[in-house]
Amino acid sequence: MLLLCACAGQSTYMPAQSVLQQLPSTTYVEQVNFYPQDDYQCGPASLAMLLSQRRFADTPESLKGRVYLPQRQGSLQVEMVAAAREHGLLVYPLNKSLLALLREVAAGNAVLVMQNLGFNWMPQWHYAVVVGYDLNTQEIIVHSGTQKAQREPFSLFMRLWNRSERWAVIALPADQLPASAEPLAYLRAASDLEQSRQLDAAKRAYTTALNAWPEQAAARFGLGNVAWTQNQPEQAVAQFRTLVSDFPTLKAGWNNLAVALTAVGCTQAARQAEACANGMPVQTAPPLPKADPLSCEIPACP
Amino acid sequence: MTLIRTVKPIISIMLSAVFMLTTISSVSARTSMVGTHEVIAEQQVSVDRESLKKMLGDQDVQNKLATMGVSPEQVEQRINSLTPSELASFNSQLNTAPSGAGVVGIIVLFLLVFILTDALCVTNIFNFVHCVR
Repeated sequence: MLLLCACAGQSTYMPAQSVLQQLPSTTYVEQVNFYPQDDYQCGPASLAMLLSQRRFADTPESLKGRVYLPQRQGSLQVEMVAAAREHGLLVYPLNKSLLALLREVAAGNAVLVMQNLGFNWMPQWHYAVVVGYDLNTQEIIVHSGTQKAQREPFSLFMRLWNRSERWAVIALPADQLPASAEPLAYLRAASDLEQSRQLDAAKRAYTTALNAWPEQAAARFGLGNVAWTQNQPEQAVAQFRTLVSDFPTLKAGWNNLAVALTAVGCTQAARQAEACANGMPVQTAPPLPKADPLSCEIPACP
Repeated sequence: MTLIRTVKPIISIMLSAVFMLTTISSVSARTSMVGTHEVIAEQQVSVDRESLKKMLGDQDVQNKLATMGVSPEQVEQRINSLTPSELASFNSQLNTAPSGAGVVGIIVLFLLVFILTDALCVTNIFNFVHCVR
């Protein structure tokens, strides 16, 4: 394994020339404020820069209490991400390639990256915000530490970034799609919003996903779950009903439809949906004392 | 050896009973909402598995495997028995692999590293290969 790594040449991270030609040769994201960091406080400073692009007025000082751990003299990645999410932003992790990073910057999204300025055996972690690049000079432009728009050669940048396992995220409004978005990764980011109770943002993100990838069941599934959590069982029923007719083999969809139907009083339909969820043939249900109203109608099992 | 032989059927019966019980309860016990993240995780696993299998379909990859004495069926079987986290780690390795090299080289390299070296107990990354020792 060691040998293999040693053999891997220097510029293996460079995307193919044909792909690079589709990107602008230079880019600089203007809307990012620069905040120089205080001692060890690259976390709050970088986060403030990232948020400033989305017109949030947070400063390193105001974020210090949220993401800076004085004892550790640093900020945890998970805290940085959670803090951005608290602003209702969708935090999308990039797929660890230089191409994804360049594509996001070209699309105008500042990228929060983690670097290791020390060694693998004595790490010195550092956050910075990538705001541009120059393909002609092979440089990344980055707000880093006390340096505004510092130029780092690709080779240096990659060396520092590799040591953090290429950690990189963007934070964007939930109705925008990242330039390098992949369906399931985006949906996972949306469900992170849902799980952290940013329900309106989650709803917008799921809608964005549904428009971009109608073939992804999880998008409407999320819309149903958000409606349910927001105490709108009728809307949840409507979403799950559409879901099971679009994706009849998704058992979790039938299950959630059954739960939502029960809540709105469609007992018979709920029983039928549950049977579909369990993959059982629908038996002729014994007549209930009170038959479901017509609005309870659901599609047949697959 | 005889002890193992007598104990084996008992264990297998017990295990199948446990398996049946757990399946039955997981089918009927659920009356709450399934989380979106659970559905996404499930779909990620099948996407990972399919993308790995699709690479196996490549003729060059199959030729290379044949020269190493590994049949595509064997590899496909191994892919099927990978756990979700193993699949995810395999695919993320593939994603960060150098982009210039041909896809054949990458796949065969990973097969070499993960499957063959694992079989020799050099690494212990995946648990689906039985060690030859």
